[in-house]
Amino acid sequence: MIEADRLHKIQKVVFNIKKHFLLVGCVIGMMQMVGCTAPSADQSQGTEGPRIALVMKSLANEFFSTMAEGAKNHQKTSEKPYQLLVNGIKDERDLSRQVALVEEMIAQGVDAIVIAPADSKALVPVLRRATEAGIIVVNIDNKLDDEVLKSSELTIPFVGPDNRKGARLVGDYLAEQLSEGDPVAVLEGIRTSFNGQQRRLGFEEAMEAAGMKIVDSQSAQWEMSQANVIASAMLSEHPDLTAILASNDSMALGALAAVKAAGRADKVKIVGFDNISAVQQAIRDGQILATADQHGDQLAVFGIEYALDLLAENEETPVDRETPVDLITAEVLKQ
Amino acid sequence: MPPSTAASESPSPTKSSPPPRRSAWSGAIEYAGMLIVLFGLVLIFSSLSDRFLHWRTLTTIANQVPDLTVIAVGMTFVLIVGGIDLSVGSILALSSVVLGVAMVDGQWPLWGAVAACLLTGTLCGMANGMISVWASIPSFIVTLGMLEIARGGAYMVANSQTKFIGSAVEQVATPLPGLQLSTTFLIAVAVVLFGQWLLSRTLFGRYCVAIGTNTEAVRMSGINDRPYRIIVFSLLGLLCGLGGWMQTARLATADPNAAVGLELSAIAAAVIGGTSLMGGRGSVINTFFGVLIIAVLQTGLAQVGASEPIKRMITGGVIILAVLLDAWRNQFYRSLPGLLNRLRSRKNSTVTDS
Repeated sequence: MIEADRLHKIQKVVFNIKKHFLLVGCVIGMMQMVGCTAPSADQSQGTEGPRIALVMKSLANEFFSTMAEGAKNHQKTSEKPYQLLVNGIKDERDLSRQVALVEEMIAQGVDAIVIAPADSKALVPVLRRATEAGIIVVNIDNKLDDEVLKSSELTIPFVGPDNRKGARLVGDYLAEQLSEGDPVAVLEGIRTSFNGQQRRLGFEEAMEAAGMKIVDSQSAQWEMSQANVIASAMLSEHPDLTAILASNDSMALGALAAVKAAGRADKVKIVGFDNISAVQQAIRDGQILATADQHGDQLAVFGIEYALDLLAENEETPVDRETPVDLITAEVLKQ
Repeated sequence: MPPSTAASESPSPTKSSPPPRRSAWSGAIEYAGMLIVLFGLVLIFSSLSDRFLHWRTLTTIANQVPDLTVIAVGMTFVLIVGGIDLSVGSILALSSVVLGVAMVDGQWPLWGAVAACLLTGTLCGMANGMISVWASIPSFIVTLGMLEIARGGAYMVANSQTKFIGSAVEQVATPLPGLQLSTTFLIAVAVVLFGQWLLSRTLFGRYCVAIGTNTEAVRMSGINDRPYRIIVFSLLGLLCGLGGWMQTARLATADPNAAVGLELSAIAAAVIGGTSLMGGRGSVINTFFGVLIIAVLQTGLAQVGASEPIKRMITGGVIILAVLLDAWRNQFYRSLPGLLNRLRSRKNSTVTDS
């Protein structure tokens, strides 16, 4: 009697579990499909002229969404008519989805692809297939790895700012406000990212040139709350710290909160990179010293214009094109 | 999930009702595993860095944990009733940007914005609870859906922009003069103490444990478990709102990208503290120790300048170590009565021998 009862119960449980797993599987599957295809179904604009696909990283990120907005506005007002397809991935680390996007664009037979690669190496093979299919490829934002490009015998022009130069500008401006030998710390981005490496190098050059001492340099993964934790630890470890150089503005805001919590707002200077709107306010208030503006809203536009040039005159061998980076300080914002 | 727990686990007395031999020193044992790991970590980091064992460093850690603490407390309750909530990070981000947008774009006063922030969190949590309870869908799935909905909502409300609020919101997170601890930390400690009281001293808490241990039995004894499960999810939602306010205050900024992956930290804190993922067992105070262990690790590793790969490997290792210690403590504790009996009988036999 008891045995039968237990058996029945176990059967019920097993059935329940099975049902649940099926449900879980279905829901996860559906969510992945919806989550990934929804942004890629972003509308195409225009009906005449060459078709240009803009393949971005996460459109949920302020930096890339303003970039996409800039491109859409440009399409509407451009003298040369063209059609624009904007696509983004859900998560910036979702490489496979971005590769799939490029494949879809090849299948659609677009004339040019302007891409902000989620990874500077992993996207090369699929872009090679695009070039072989006769599609013009222009690289923006995150520069593709030179070594990998060379080994796959590929030339893809990079249109974008020199992040190293930008970081150098910010670093030099900071150095003017410090005295020689002052200890400073660097908050790096994700170490594998090209932009992150370039910005770190730019900061280091500026600090070395001015004779500052970099006493600590750690990665906070581009993230505000991680930067807050790491900056707090840096401040405890180095009580004489005079400045924190953050490789992007989110991390600069995280560092700002750490400096305030430690009660050292008047002693530690902070600089960032990107010029997001939240940081502009902090610069006006004198809480953050400076940042660099690489004209995010124009970055995709520069790439598209270059693609249009290449489409117009096919024989030209593509070369990299540098776009401006400007130093943003309280005085600049007052104008 | 709850029915499976009910069938697969024998009704061992050590699970929900403590063995009768519990005395004053058992309180120390209860927290011993956690305390050993925590003090071990502090000792190791102090030996690696001269500046770790300073009041300043310790208060810095304390002022960074409030948001994770309150959410981990709520998570403990959800795990105890046999549920799980994967949406806490997204709900925190949504409440936080509601606060930010209300203050920056809407020019709302602080109290109004905070009320909206708490309400947002509570509504999200309530939706989680109601859907999973009324439709009998595992909370794993419902909250997985909410994880996406709330994150999307956060991007929509903030228009994918980070909102800088500045000094208007910071007050509550700034260290108070004297102790150097912030109001948010004191609130978090109060939430922990209240949570532990709620869990172990009230009917509500006993019902939660009972529901997580054996839902069928609870129903058969004429108690409707549904309202309790909904309340527990709503409570976690409210605490996510509170955590959102705390984080916004600490960073002076509302960020729609905030707290990605927070659910894992909150679950890890609860599990390090001995909460069972199957429901029916957990302690709020131990969860707090779990939070402190995670925070000390984070800060300590940053202060000694460990590299990113090492940081991750050590964090993972410590989570496993803490859970292992807890399991051993439980085994030791369960075998203790038997051990004592054997000792006593041996003593008796020696007495009769002589």
